[in-house]
Amino acid sequence: MNHLEQIVKATVEGDEERCVALAQQVLDQGLDPLEAIEEGYSKAMVTVGDLFSRMEYFLPDLMRSAQAVNSAMKVLRPHLLQHGDGGIQGTIVLGTIQGDLHDVGKNIVKIMLQASGFEVHDLGVDVSVRRLVEKAEEVDADIIAASAILTTTMAYMPDLTNLLTDMGMRDKFQIMLGGGPVTPDWAMEVGADGYGETAAEAVDVAKRLMQEKRGGK
Amino acid sequence: MTNIWDVIGRSESGPYIKEDKYDWQIGLTAGELVKKYDIRFDPEQVVPEDDDLADRVYQASLDLFLELGIYCRDTSRLVKFSRDEVETALRYAPTSITYGQGKDEAVMVYRGVEDATPPFCLCTPVGQSVAEERFVPMVQSYAQEPLADTFSSAFSQTVHGRPIKSGTPQEVEAAIWNVIKLREAAQAAGRPQIGIHNLVSNAERTDAILAAVRPEFGALPNDGLAIAATAELKFDYERVKKAIFARHTGYNTYGLYGALMGGYSGGPESTAIVQVAHHFLGLLAFDVQSHCSFPLHLMQSCNSTRNLLWLISVTMQALSRNTRLLINLAPFTASGPCTEMVVNETVAIVTAATVSGADLNLLAVARNKHPEYASGMEARIGAEAGHVVSWQGMSREQVNEIVKQLLAEYEDQIEEAPLGKRFDECYDLASVQPTQAYLDLYEQSKEKLTRLGMDYSLV
Repeated sequence: MNHLEQIVKATVEGDEERCVALAQQVLDQGLDPLEAIEEGYSKAMVTVGDLFSRMEYFLPDLMRSAQAVNSAMKVLRPHLLQHGDGGIQGTIVLGTIQGDLHDVGKNIVKIMLQASGFEVHDLGVDVSVRRLVEKAEEVDADIIAASAILTTTMAYMPDLTNLLTDMGMRDKFQIMLGGGPVTPDWAMEVGADGYGETAAEAVDVAKRLMQEKRGGK
Repeated sequence: MTNIWDVIGRSESGPYIKEDKYDWQIGLTAGELVKKYDIRFDPEQVVPEDDDLADRVYQASLDLFLELGIYCRDTSRLVKFSRDEVETALRYAPTSITYGQGKDEAVMVYRGVEDATPPFCLCTPVGQSVAEERFVPMVQSYAQEPLADTFSSAFSQTVHGRPIKSGTPQEVEAAIWNVIKLREAAQAAGRPQIGIHNLVSNAERTDAILAAVRPEFGALPNDGLAIAATAELKFDYERVKKAIFARHTGYNTYGLYGALMGGYSGGPESTAIVQVAHHFLGLLAFDVQSHCSFPLHLMQSCNSTRNLLWLISVTMQALSRNTRLLINLAPFTASGPCTEMVVNETVAIVTAATVSGADLNLLAVARNKHPEYASGMEARIGAEAGHVVSWQGMSREQVNEIVKQLLAEYEDQIEEAPLGKRFDECYDLASVQPTQAYLDLYEQSKEKLTRLGMDYSLV
């Protein structure tokens, strides 16, 4: 089993100690850290995400693997500076929309995005549209992502595009929406750029939005 | 006996813990208890007959509750209880409650496993979103069902033409409108004093809800309010406010708990443990009289999958065998109205729950996600199946066979379940009666269910 295969195996098994040791070996042996991330840790998380989507893995399993990857990233990321962006796929500001306290889905999306190489600023629950936008400006985010599980809180989502438009910043950020009552049609109707039914789908959408943002349509 | 103020006091002085660490501990602790108590999901025993398994799930749940405590999101502190406090609260918990008045009065009583007492039927579109002009006909379609003991609300997309946003003045207006329109629907259904088990679905914030709960808007003294745990074994002050209000006013309250199978709790066995433990939370932190379970599949947003049916049966048996709590189960189907699949899913969930000791909260269809996709006919289908199980004196073994046959028909369609028909497509809006097509579909399904051993001549 080569080094990348070992990384994939350790990540899928959620073996944090082994993932960190393998990351250190990448550096010690002069291997390419970016390749280790993209073809090792990230690839493994796609497998973990698939297992989770099929409910062969449950959230605690997903969390174990994500934790293992995060720890390995701490070892590798400082050595990625030559790649300019440190290997980061994009920056996302995330939260449940104003009035909404239901965060399980949002937390799963966060785990999957982080494990896929996104830098995620999680503002938690009950986050006003204004705060989402302010944070996005502060961290120079690429994407603002919001979730709602209640119909009464979902009603705040259109405010996100409205506020950005009124501030003259609509083109600066991509908007992703999700959550129980949110449908793809409704998300598009209120001006979102993307909609994720599941966490895995949210990752795909985020990657697509980054491509579009970088002009790779 | 422990009261809400003890809980509030402990929420200010209990051990501090970060929320994500608590989330971790739920899965870890429940996982260890699954091993300790040897709890195993058997796909062939969807409705298990094993009393000892149900009792082990109960003991594991009590252990989990005592070990972890519950999490206060306002203070990030744990509230813990002693075994004696939980057992005392269980001993003094209500074993019956009354909804409605006069000819529309209905009494919910404790049910045991394989109980001949029919399930109490709380009929509701479970807050399904609907256009303002169809709100009254939709909720009337539930209130008028002959087997409905109580009813409650859909969610109106607008009120007076304006959308509802949580935390705004419009939310208060919407909540008041909600109560007025529910009572109007009860009158239109010819059951003016039927109980409303949850008076407000149009609002989330407690100030809006409490503003609406007044007799001049149509609330009866023993109508009710739902108090939900916001996530696995968590509570916040916003929910407890309702409990304080109900304590002073006498409105009925029920706890609402929906552990996510595949989420923080893990798989079906550990989620079963967490789901049962929520009932202790409701009893001690919310002081509720009854309890509604809606465990859900994390990916499918329904509880008609094989592992969820097992979870429903084993949790309801665990509670029914070891307490005298008033428990009900809210079915969530993947498919929508006027489909053969919605009948199959509904009957599978309802029969599994009823024979296991639960009352019924009927019901959420089309994953409770798609506006306009809900009708009183689904409540009828569920209520009749529940009554057949009881009046026929069905055993868990009999129900297990029926459920497995139904699963064989719909199990592989859950992911791509048909959405069915909107309310205005499967009901005549003028008469508020189901279309002949829907009635015919149900009749055909009943013929099949009769062949499976259900005696529909009893209802």
